[in-house]
Amino acid sequence: MAMISAQTFFISFFGLAAVWFGVVVFRTHSMMRSALALLFSQTAIGAMFIGMQAEFLGVLQIMMMATEMSIMAIFMVMFMMDPGGLGKMDMTHQKRLSVITGLVAFVAIVAVAVFTDWGPLAGSVPDSAQQTEDLGLELMGRSMLIFETAGLTLLTAMIAATAVAVEPIKRNRD
Amino acid sequence: MIVGARQGKLSGLRQLVAKAMARELTGFLVPGLDIAHAQGLDVEAAGVRLVASPRHASVLMVAGDISPALRNAAAIIYAQMARPRALLVLGAGGLSPLPSADVTSELSQPGLIDGIAQLRIAFAEGAFRPEVTDFDAPMLHVRVEYTCPMHPEVVQDEPGSCPKCGMTLEPREASANDVDSHPHETHDHHHESHDHQHEVHNHDHGSHSHHHEAHDHDDHESHSHQHEAEDHQAMDHSGMNHGDMDHGSMDHGDHGDHAFMSMIDVTKDLPRSSDGLPMDWIDVPFGPFFPGLPSGLLLTLTLDGDTVAGSSARTLTENVALPHHSALEPLSFVARLSNMEPLAPLAYRFLANQAMENAAGIEITTVTARGRVGALERERITSHLGWLALFGQQMGFGWLLRRAAALQLKFRHANEQAIMALKPDIESLIKRLRRTPLLKSRNAGIGRLVQDNALRGPVARAVGIDNDARSTDPVYTALGFKAISRDSGDSLARLQVRLDELRQSLALIDAAGTIELFEPANIGLATGAGEAFVETPRGAAHLRLTLEKGLVVTAQLETPSTHHLTLTDSLTKQQSLGDALLAVGSLDLSPWEIRQ
Amino acid sequence: MTTALILLLLAVGAYLVAVIEAWTVSGRWQLAAPITAGIALLGRESIVPRKLDRVFFEVAPVLLLISALLAATVLPLTPGLIITDLATGALFINAALVYVLVALLMAGWGPNGAYAMIGGWRFLGQLIAYAMLIVMPVTAVAMRAESLLTTQIVTSQADLWNILYQPLGFVLFFVAAMALAFLPPFDLTTATSELAGGVEAEYSGVRLAVFRLGRLVLVITLAATTVVFYLGGWQGPWLPPWAWSAIKILAVTALMLLAGRVLPRIREADLLNLCWKLGIPLALLNIFVVGLQVLVWP
Repeated sequence: MAMISAQTFFISFFGLAAVWFGVVVFRTHSMMRSALALLFSQTAIGAMFIGMQAEFLGVLQIMMMATEMSIMAIFMVMFMMDPGGLGKMDMTHQKRLSVITGLVAFVAIVAVAVFTDWGPLAGSVPDSAQQTEDLGLELMGRSMLIFETAGLTLLTAMIAATAVAVEPIKRNRD
Repeated sequence: MIVGARQGKLSGLRQLVAKAMARELTGFLVPGLDIAHAQGLDVEAAGVRLVASPRHASVLMVAGDISPALRNAAAIIYAQMARPRALLVLGAGGLSPLPSADVTSELSQPGLIDGIAQLRIAFAEGAFRPEVTDFDAPMLHVRVEYTCPMHPEVVQDEPGSCPKCGMTLEPREASANDVDSHPHETHDHHHESHDHQHEVHNHDHGSHSHHHEAHDHDDHESHSHQHEAEDHQAMDHSGMNHGDMDHGSMDHGDHGDHAFMSMIDVTKDLPRSSDGLPMDWIDVPFGPFFPGLPSGLLLTLTLDGDTVAGSSARTLTENVALPHHSALEPLSFVARLSNMEPLAPLAYRFLANQAMENAAGIEITTVTARGRVGALERERITSHLGWLALFGQQMGFGWLLRRAAALQLKFRHANEQAIMALKPDIESLIKRLRRTPLLKSRNAGIGRLVQDNALRGPVARAVGIDNDARSTDPVYTALGFKAISRDSGDSLARLQVRLDELRQSLALIDAAGTIELFEPANIGLATGAGEAFVETPRGAAHLRLTLEKGLVVTAQLETPSTHHLTLTDSLTKQQSLGDALLAVGSLDLSPWEIRQ
Repeated sequence: MTTALILLLLAVGAYLVAVIEAWTVSGRWQLAAPITAGIALLGRESIVPRKLDRVFFEVAPVLLLISALLAATVLPLTPGLIITDLATGALFINAALVYVLVALLMAGWGPNGAYAMIGGWRFLGQLIAYAMLIVMPVTAVAMRAESLLTTQIVTSQADLWNILYQPLGFVLFFVAAMALAFLPPFDLTTATSELAGGVEAEYSGVRLAVFRLGRLVLVITLAATTVVFYLGGWQGPWLPPWAWSAIKILAVTALMLLAGRVLPRIREADLLNLCWKLGIPLALLNIFVVGLQVLVWP
């Protein structure tokens, strides 16, 4: 009983932290702060995963999101104006449409979460070492096709993006 | 007792801290490591650790007298240092606007060691004091100007409204670009107060209110950091409102997409880099006391991310006055010329002597000539070793910096036997350098120069131009001199040419057999005009002078670094920052001999 | 109790790293230098630049220290001495160490200065180069151990250390570890001669002390990680386990710090070239070869 409430506490804490950081992403004017707030929001989600005893997933989330958000940060600084946020520029556009879309999406997600039949409640979870092994077997077995396809698609996308980016310079030279 | 003490009572824990500070002195060297080595100072051996950033330094060490522009820069450095901070001056008197020196000593290694010892005592006793005074200097003052957010080209000194659009002008700190448009001599005050921003390019739209503008980076040249008064922060928040402009107003009452401006529209007037991205360009100064660059050189790079989009280089050293229709004693003329260049004093001394002897029609003996050859070649070795040390520092190559500096100090006053004894050390340095992994990839293809007849010295010889003043000198040809050249013209070729010249100079000293600094021949009351060429370690220097009754009345001097300075722009364009700095470093500029 | 002991050992380790680093720079053994330097540093003013990003400026040194400490919590120094033996230990080390990047980005952006900013973004460029090289060799190590538990990884090397079993992986991991700790020749982010100290330049006083401490702990954590993954951890004849751990970790540290003295700083473009064109194919080859080895020799 005490164990469950500690777990619930931590999950709620990190969940709220994730939401708070997510709000900071849009409230702050500085691009860099926005990117790093998103980073920490994802870290909080990773911590939630660990709290839910999905250790591998949590650690992976924490690791990958840090790298990805940092790379997003540099792109934001490169492409966005006023990355320092000192000008307090209003970065929002299409306000009414976005508010409506946001509300609709929120209601839809909550409806899915509440009304779906998630199956019976798991009484206990296997320990982390066993989970990692099971995950590995799953990846190498049933899910191998999915991940291989995803990997190849990503690789193709990367190569295509690079090729598209390089081309205009070549054209100028002709 | 040190002027830059930190506020507090010296008791208990603070005494322990003061003693610790006295033992671990960190120093910032002005003008720089190359000058210090050329003067024979070995700072690390004296027990002070040199640091690159003024924030980390506790002692500002000034080696020798410096020009007013450099003094202003040094004052800015001093203001950036964290307290408690001390000032050690070697071989110079009062250096205003710096405060009076806490310890003065003579400009020599024993003088340095003595000065450091005194400094340790001063720190242990005076690092903390109950009352301290602010350090203030004219160039540290912030100059506020008023500009229109929509039209940055409108700049006024008083508040008001923009003549073009009527908006109220916003306050902003003086920026480097605006100041540089003034002639330097007359606006010395403003000129040095271009502290606050190195961003410029008066862009019209918002992206500029981002942090780049207010940089307070401690680039050794500009800072107006009054750390005692953090309330300055409050003052400065009022600036920087470039972003506060039309975007906000455009989106007010936005009921649809018609006022939506895409990033492409908004940034259409911004300068674009060669890959088409409009990014912010910042002006960053490198120098005059930048580690790895020749001291006294102010290199301002306009950086587009990590790439150099533009550059401007100039020297902050004083332009030595040469007589022009005025009379100067020959000995003081020689002294003036040789003191001009601390990195190669002998070469200029010989230049002056030879020009005067030519003008007076005096022949010198072969013994004297050979003695001069020996001394000049020794100086060439010393200078190249000094350059190697600086280059090693620039490449982040610790071993090269230490080894080359140690050898340079040994060669400075060595006689022929000592030099021959040091020959194997030079050989092993060259061999180890050639074998260093990553050195070739670091240098190959960087800083490529094309054939240009105005190039001199090793820079020219690396491009394949056999330009060497020694090839036409009979004394040298008698000793079997042959100019060395390579033809790739990049940084690696320049390195290799200088290494080859090290070997060649050793061979020449061996052949000459003697190193003597003979007194200049007595020119009596001769009258006439003459000129001389001397191959200084950086290239051929040319001096023309006229004598009248034994006094020098006019003189014109051309030095190699003057032209080489103009190469920095082409060398650094579109290079990444590290490559750009390396290219400039490989030129072996001497800001002290640049004639303006 | 274990935590306190390990933290104490890390502090001692960081101290020794400082001593070794001073030796590689000046050639002299100055055992008391880090203490006096630390005290002297704490007594200096802490200057704060104008118009800085306060949150980033303050958090960066602390985050650097914390991420290094977190990575050290899963490293076993002796068979029983480990703070938490996470089932995904080997992966957790990388997860914690990636926040070094976040800390340096913050330290670059915070002070509102050109040198620091360029230094911070350069580290991101460096990460693009070494990121794969620090994760892929760990895959091969975990393959041999058939587990991500760090203790299991050490015990799997009982008959042959990984440095001999998978030398290619060792070389790649060592290079990537040096790049992560921004040690010369990969010190693009705190380059003395290109950026006047870069990310470190604007810090002074207490914050600088924390930054430097964080860096020292990072170096020793990476050395300890190398030892755990490739050098058999605490295993060795005659001496007790803690002695072997200490000797190996200090030897790896000395090697990491020395390498930078004898090489010039690498160019950013060359680093990316080397890591992507040479490093990643070699890492893949390493995984393949180790896979074969694991199948052939049980």
